[in-house]
Amino acid sequence: MTSLAPRTVDPARPYAQGEKGGRRRRVVPLIPGGFRWIIPALVISVGLIYYSIVYSGYISFFDWRGGRSPMNPIGFDNYVEAFTDPVFWTAIRNTVVYFVVVFAVQVIGGVFFAAALHSKVFLGSLYKVIIVIPVVVAPATLAPAHIQVWQSNGTVNAILESIGLGALTQSWIGQSTTSLMVVILVGCWGSIGFGFILYFGAMTQIDPEMIEAGRVDGAGNLRILFSLVLPNVKAITISLAILNLITALKLFDNVWLITQGGPAHSSEFLGTMIYSEIAASDRNLGYASALSVILLVIAVATSILIQLRSRERRAKVTKAVKAGVDV
Amino acid sequence: MFETRSRTSRAVLQIVLTIAVIPFLVPIYTMVAKSFEGAGWGNYAAVVSVPGFFRFFLNSAIVAAGSIIIIYIATMMAAFGFSKLRIRSKELFFWLMMAALTLPEVVLIAPLYSTAVALGLLGTFWSVILPIAALQIPFTVLIARGYVDGIPDTLFEAARLDGAGTVRMFWSVLLPLARPIAVALLVLVLINAWNAYLLPKVFLINDDMGVVTLLPEFFRRQYNDDIPKVLAAAVVTAIPTIVAYIALQKQFERGMAAGAIK
Repeated sequence: MTSLAPRTVDPARPYAQGEKGGRRRRVVPLIPGGFRWIIPALVISVGLIYYSIVYSGYISFFDWRGGRSPMNPIGFDNYVEAFTDPVFWTAIRNTVVYFVVVFAVQVIGGVFFAAALHSKVFLGSLYKVIIVIPVVVAPATLAPAHIQVWQSNGTVNAILESIGLGALTQSWIGQSTTSLMVVILVGCWGSIGFGFILYFGAMTQIDPEMIEAGRVDGAGNLRILFSLVLPNVKAITISLAILNLITALKLFDNVWLITQGGPAHSSEFLGTMIYSEIAASDRNLGYASALSVILLVIAVATSILIQLRSRERRAKVTKAVKAGVDV
Repeated sequence: MFETRSRTSRAVLQIVLTIAVIPFLVPIYTMVAKSFEGAGWGNYAAVVSVPGFFRFFLNSAIVAAGSIIIIYIATMMAAFGFSKLRIRSKELFFWLMMAALTLPEVVLIAPLYSTAVALGLLGTFWSVILPIAALQIPFTVLIARGYVDGIPDTLFEAARLDGAGTVRMFWSVLLPLARPIAVALLVLVLINAWNAYLLPKVFLINDDMGVVTLLPEFFRRQYNDDIPKVLAAAVVTAIPTIVAYIALQKQFERGMAAGAIK
C-alpha cells in the first residue's frame, strides 16, 4: 500500500486535473472530481489483496512457523520442495482431471436442463429448485450427506445391491482408486445447477424468430440446439471455463470434509495442501505461501490464456462474417 | 427450446427430465431420511437444544451483515466514482481492481493468517469480514459500474444544475436508481458470506464464534459421530438457505447471471 499511496494521491489534486483536463475538453472541469469516492473500494479490495500477494511472495522465501518464531531465509527451497514433492504433482493432476470432468458435465447438464425447462414441461419450477439447491446450500453443510451416500453402508452401495450389482459395492471414499471420483462426482452434483441458471438466462435472450426460422428450414430439435442455441450462448461457456478453472484450483470445502485429501493423498488438491500446511502443528507458512504463489501464477496465466484464445476465435469469426458480407 | 408437438414426445421429455433429476435428490433424500433414524424428531429436538446452537446462526448473520454493509457502501461509491466522476487514470485503478476478479481465496490464507496473528485480529469477525469483502468487491464494482454506466448522464447534470452537490447526487439520484442491481448483488454476497467455510475455519478459532458451515464438524465432535444428529443439524442449517433462495429466486439468478458475464 505504501508504495501505491504517493501515486494515487497526486492525480487527485484538483489543480493538476483542472490544468490538463481544461486544455483538452471544456466540459471536463464541470464534472466533479471523484477520487475519494473510489478510495474505500480501493483500500479494502486492492489494498488487502495486493498486500497479501506481495507478502505471500516475501514469506515464500522463508522457513517460518508464524507469529514470533524466527524467520529463516532459505531462498528458493520452498519452491524446490513443492516441485519435487510427488503430492504436489498429484494435486496438479487431480486439479486438471477435476476441471475437465466437472466443466464437461456442467456444460452438458446445464445446456440439457436449460433447454428442457425452456420447453413445455409439467412442474418446471419444481425441477428448477431441485437442480439449484446444490448450488445455494453450502458444500460444508451438504458434505455429511455426501459421506452417507458414498460410504461403505451408504446409499450408492444399497442401490447397487438392490439392482443385483452387489459385486460392485466398495468403500468408495476409503480407497485411493475411487476417492478422487467421489470428489469429482460431488463437484458435478454441486455445479450443474450453476451452469443451468446461466444457460437458462442466456437462452431467454435468444430471438424466438430465429428458432422459428430454423424450424421452417426443417431443422430438428438437436440441430437447433447445436447450430442455433449453442453458438448463441458461447460467452457463457467461456465464462464457465474460467470460473471452473478457478474453482478447481482453489477446491477445498468438499475435499476436506469428505476425503481430507486422502487416503494417502490420492484426492489431494492445492487448496487442501495449503490448508493442511497452515493447520499443521509443524506448520511452515513459507511453504504454504510458495504453494499459494504457484497457484496464483497458474490461475492468472490460464485464465488469461482462455480469454485470449476465445477473443482470437471471436475476432476470426467476426472477420469471416465481415468478409462474407463484403463479397 | 425442445419442440414437443405430439403427446408422446412431450411425455418422453418429461420422463427423461425426471430421470435426470433423480441424482440430485439422492443426497438430499439420504440426508433427510437418515436424520430421522433412531430417535426420529428427537434428533432435531436434541440438536436445537444444544447450548449455543443458535449462536452459530447469529455469528453467520454477523459475518453476512458486516460483509454486506461494507460491500454495499464501497461498491456504490466506487461505481459512482468510476462511472460518473472525473478521476485521473481512472482505468488504471479499475484495471488494478479487476485483476483480482478471479482470485482464489486460498492464496490469501497464509499471508492473512500471519498478519492476523501479528495484529491480534485472529478470532475476530473482522478477520473474516474484510477478506470476504476484499474478494467480492472487484466483482460487485464491475457489475455495478456496468449498470450505472447505463444511467443517463443527463440525470446527474440536471441534478447539478438544480444545485445538488456530489454527495446529494449520490444519495438522491444514484442510490435509488441503482437499487435493482444492488439487491441482486447483495443477495449473491449474502449467499457467499453465509456459505463461506475456509476463512471462518482458519480465522474464527474461538469456540463461541463458529458459523453455520462449521456446524457439522461441531456436531461430529459433540456427538462422537452420532450420524443422525449430525444430519439433523445439516438439515436445520440448509433450510434457511433453501427458503431464502426460493423467496429471492429472481434476484439470486440475476446476480449469478451478471457474475458470469465478467
